[in-house]
Amino acid sequence: MTSMVANGTRGDQSLVLKGVDPETCMIVFKNHWAQVVKILEKHDPLRSIVGGLGGGHGLGGGGGLGSFRFGPVPGDEASAVQNYVEHMLFLLMEEECGQNGAMGPILEFVVMENVLERLFIWSLRREFTDDMKLEQLKMYEMLIGQARQPLLHHKPVLKPLMMLLSSCSGSPSGSSSSAVETELVLLLNQLCCVLAKDPSVLELFFHTSEDQGAANFLIFSLLIPFIHREGSVGQQARDALLLIMALSAENHVVAKHIAENTYFCPVLATGLSGLYSSLPTKLDVPSEEWHCLHREDWQQLPALVQFLNSLEFCNAVIQVAHPSTRDQLVGYIHNGFLVPVLAPALHKLTLEEVMTTTAYLDLFIRSISEPALLHTFLSFILLHRHDNVHILDTLVSRINTPFQLGTVSLALFRTLIGLFCEDVMLQLVFKYLIPCNHMMLSQRRVLRERDCYSVSAAKFLALTPSCCSPEVIPPPLRKLDSILWSKGTDGSHIGTMESKEVLSEEDDCGNSCVIGSEIYLDVSYLHYLYDAQNSISHCMRACRVWSAPYDGENPPPEEYQRNTLEEADLTATPGLLELEWDDSYDACPTQLHPEEDQETRPIPDEPPKHIQELRRTAIMIVKGSYIEESEFQNDVMVYNLVAQKDAHDSAAKQEMLDESVTDQKTTNSESSISNGLSSPLDEMDSKKRGSQSNHKSLEGEDLVAQYEELIRTLGAQHSPAKTDSELKSPTDLMDEEEDEIDFNSFSPETPEAEKLPSPFGTKPRSGSRGHAVPFTGPFLSVLLSRLENMPSNSLHVNLLLTGILAQLAAYPQPLLRSFLLNTNMVFQPSVRSLYQVLASVKNQIEQCSANNKDFPELLTAAQHCLLARESSLRGQTDRIKTKPNIQPKTVVPLNKTEVYAAVLFTEFLKELAAFAQEHSILSHLPTEQ
Amino acid sequence: MLRIRWSLICPAHPPFGKKQLPSIPKNAVPITKAASPASSTESANGTHASYGPFYLEYSLLAEFTLVIKQRLPGIYVQPSYRSTLMWFGVIFIRHGLYQDGVFKFTVYIPDNFPDGDCPRVIFDTPVFHPLVDSVSGELDVRRAFTKWRRNHNHIWQVLMYARTIFYKINTMDPLNPEAVVLYDKDFQLFKSKVVDSVKLCNSHLFDQPKIDDPFAISFSPWNPAVHEEAKDKMFAYKRLHKDYNKGPLVSGLSWVKPGSTQPFSKEDIPLQT
Repeated sequence: MTSMVANGTRGDQSLVLKGVDPETCMIVFKNHWAQVVKILEKHDPLRSIVGGLGGGHGLGGGGGLGSFRFGPVPGDEASAVQNYVEHMLFLLMEEECGQNGAMGPILEFVVMENVLERLFIWSLRREFTDDMKLEQLKMYEMLIGQARQPLLHHKPVLKPLMMLLSSCSGSPSGSSSSAVETELVLLLNQLCCVLAKDPSVLELFFHTSEDQGAANFLIFSLLIPFIHREGSVGQQARDALLLIMALSAENHVVAKHIAENTYFCPVLATGLSGLYSSLPTKLDVPSEEWHCLHREDWQQLPALVQFLNSLEFCNAVIQVAHPSTRDQLVGYIHNGFLVPVLAPALHKLTLEEVMTTTAYLDLFIRSISEPALLHTFLSFILLHRHDNVHILDTLVSRINTPFQLGTVSLALFRTLIGLFCEDVMLQLVFKYLIPCNHMMLSQRRVLRERDCYSVSAAKFLALTPSCCSPEVIPPPLRKLDSILWSKGTDGSHIGTMESKEVLSEEDDCGNSCVIGSEIYLDVSYLHYLYDAQNSISHCMRACRVWSAPYDGENPPPEEYQRNTLEEADLTATPGLLELEWDDSYDACPTQLHPEEDQETRPIPDEPPKHIQELRRTAIMIVKGSYIEESEFQNDVMVYNLVAQKDAHDSAAKQEMLDESVTDQKTTNSESSISNGLSSPLDEMDSKKRGSQSNHKSLEGEDLVAQYEELIRTLGAQHSPAKTDSELKSPTDLMDEEEDEIDFNSFSPETPEAEKLPSPFGTKPRSGSRGHAVPFTGPFLSVLLSRLENMPSNSLHVNLLLTGILAQLAAYPQPLLRSFLLNTNMVFQPSVRSLYQVLASVKNQIEQCSANNKDFPELLTAAQHCLLARESSLRGQTDRIKTKPNIQPKTVVPLNKTEVYAAVLFTEFLKELAAFAQEHSILSHLPTEQ
Repeated sequence: MLRIRWSLICPAHPPFGKKQLPSIPKNAVPITKAASPASSTESANGTHASYGPFYLEYSLLAEFTLVIKQRLPGIYVQPSYRSTLMWFGVIFIRHGLYQDGVFKFTVYIPDNFPDGDCPRVIFDTPVFHPLVDSVSGELDVRRAFTKWRRNHNHIWQVLMYARTIFYKINTMDPLNPEAVVLYDKDFQLFKSKVVDSVKLCNSHLFDQPKIDDPFAISFSPWNPAVHEEAKDKMFAYKRLHKDYNKGPLVSGLSWVKPGSTQPFSKEDIPLQT
């Protein structure tokens, strides 16, 4: 039997059999069987014909026993049986169905004589080795795969098959050879294919397994251990399981069985946790630009590949399975993976670990597509609280973290925003805009107005820094940029660069219409318009499933001004510990009086343990970093951030530097800080300590009281903005007035809100103080605050930031659209608009340009560099175009961030203007009917 | 790696022809004189000069979408291929004195729109009407829009006005005094002149368009070989459009219960959104 199966000589045989009449086949078959029976009976301990065997479970052992009692079967007899069986199998396989789907005569004989079961018992009687199992498995695989009539409907076929499968499941050491496993999974897979084609067989499988006393639905149970297996065996097992899942969607019995009697869902979900634990806790980040796991990144990590395979499988199961299975599975994923594993991982101690987890989370969300699974992940992010803080709040607060955690967090939000998920956008953005507190009352009715005459677009474009104006851009680039826009008489104006003709056409009545002129138009702007149109219409279509238009009327602002949001606060965060360290990064680039801020903060007696721990280690590491990272020493921005971090005590756990920097002078750090920055830092540090140690002291309370009083007298108009001019470089200084008005809006920790007495003695969550002070929420605030730093941001951070804002600008909801794109809206003084921030960036760029006479040359060179970068990226994606890469003549170093920012800023303005223009026509086209 | 969104300085982009303004009048390119200020915000550094035509283009597109939205009965307009400042139109009069009239016209929009004069409307064939110049065919638009006010006046209003004059005759300060005299003194004769005028206009229906433009409106006698397919498409359009909207290509997510502002407030998680 083995040789025949293994050699796959079936083709020859079938040729031989062709033309042989069925009767002859039958006679041959019977003869063979008679010979086989003789040998079988000779070795049968009971001399009985059928079924001397007990339940399926003991089969393996029974076989061994028999062979001992009667001695080994002689080799010549074994091979004789094998030869006969080979021929018999071919005859069976080749037999056609009888009339009206009746059994063919050979099959009928097989059923009557219980041939297969007796053969199985025979093989047990000999030594039931892995080789023997393999033979039997292959025999069934071939029979099932190639027989011309349905076999599984017949119990005498099915039963020995189930016995075989049982024996495979029962291997005590669990150490079946991998060959057996491979064959077993292959057979199971094949059985599932049969089931998928003919669900009626399903019932039989159930009943048969009952007979056996084995676990119901053996096929399924056998597959479960292979769920998370890597390689093709795992893949086949998962494919097979998916077939069963699809069946279960329509078969209540199967669904119920899976949910109630198997460990399928728990194995699947906890398997994720297991696989997750073998993922690297820290990634080797290839470059500073890196911010998310791309395919080429994760393909290098086998553990991650395996995890994603299993996650993908969960996704597929949820897609096809019965709702009960689906619900159970998402439940286990939530309670068995997200909450116990991922949540703590997102709160690990080091920056690198947290960053890595964030990148994983981003990748996972990008890898799944089933709404129910997305629901699980998203509700985990939005609703789950870890140490009483919502995951979402933690994630948002990290956007402003310096270094890579901030960038990776940005990338995660880019993913989240790209889901067009109402719940996400509600929590991130709309929740704060619904009450309409961010705008002047009079503005509510213009909320939905459209910008008929492109006024907003013009205002955005008018922010183009003078050094970047199209007029100033030197000729080589200008040529690429601009096109002489005139008409050709036959419509061939397209691409005409040099048509000088200006036509004016007159009709009979002397009405003339000038239809040509020479104007240099920025052709790149056409691409922005095109992209904006695609992006907006895509978004509009996606948002059709949303529950409300968010247009300033629905949901009604009044209804949400006081109660709802407030309620949400109180219920959401009883006893609140704010995210101490994370919040310190929040926006507010300015802290003139850090001690006040600290004192007003009701510092809880005992911060969560992980925060305490982080605080301890982080402060040390941050200190060390000052000395080691001389590269940063000229970077005012970095110091700025680091100083805030320190000053806020929240600080946190950064290993922003190499791990090598762990020893040092953490204890006497004050003395070791050099370079001009030491004094402010020292000062803040000591203040911080003071505040930490005696925040309960009378002095502290007094300060709080005074401050509250001060705030009260100034009312909501007061802006406690503090400029940290000492820490800022001169170029960072901007229009004071503007700053003063707006800075506090950046900080979710605005003192006004904090000092509002809350009936529960807790401070409101940063996430929900929309009603207290006009505030557009931490997410928009932090984005804008990072945007304001454009000139000092690295190129890739700016690309991410502008990308996210552009994505937000595509949303058609009037509340968001008007906030971002309507430059005529009048907002509350404490609310900073995108336009204001852009104006500030423009000023910074103008200053850079004014202070650096090389700026124009650098700008041109930077444009060339970006061009080269783009064409090389393009080259990576489509190799067909083998255009010679443009080599920039001079490479502008990436640390000239302000130069790159200037180029990018100019482009971003065009992008926003294009969105504003496209909204003015797209949002008003009739979409329904 | 990073998606490159900004495409400036990008010679690798397909030639201009590949990406055109995806505007409603396909291929229509705004070609104007240096546009006059559309707003007070243009800067002196040339930003405006480069983008002014885009503002004008989109202002007109916005006007056009408003026209579509109004669904003016019996009026069809189409911006010309050559300039969005010139729109071709036709009015079908369904009852009244001018019943069965099919009047083609052209709208000329000043190139400093919306800050200039009101648009002009000129009928291809001068219709016999008190407010239509009997020689030039120009409709007296100005009487309804003495001063064109941005934000208040829109082109659809002009079109609406052009339709209204055929249902409600106004004889004050006529452009065609003869018509008024007849209207007041000899209404029967007026009526017969109107009928003649309608006949005349309709007899020119199949003439080549006055202005040679790919998007000019032209009529031709019913020819099943040409028109049947187009007609079917028109009737099929609704259905196709619907399918397109439903397309599985994009779907957002929402578990927010209508009327709530709490995430995941829907009781049952829908399988599909």
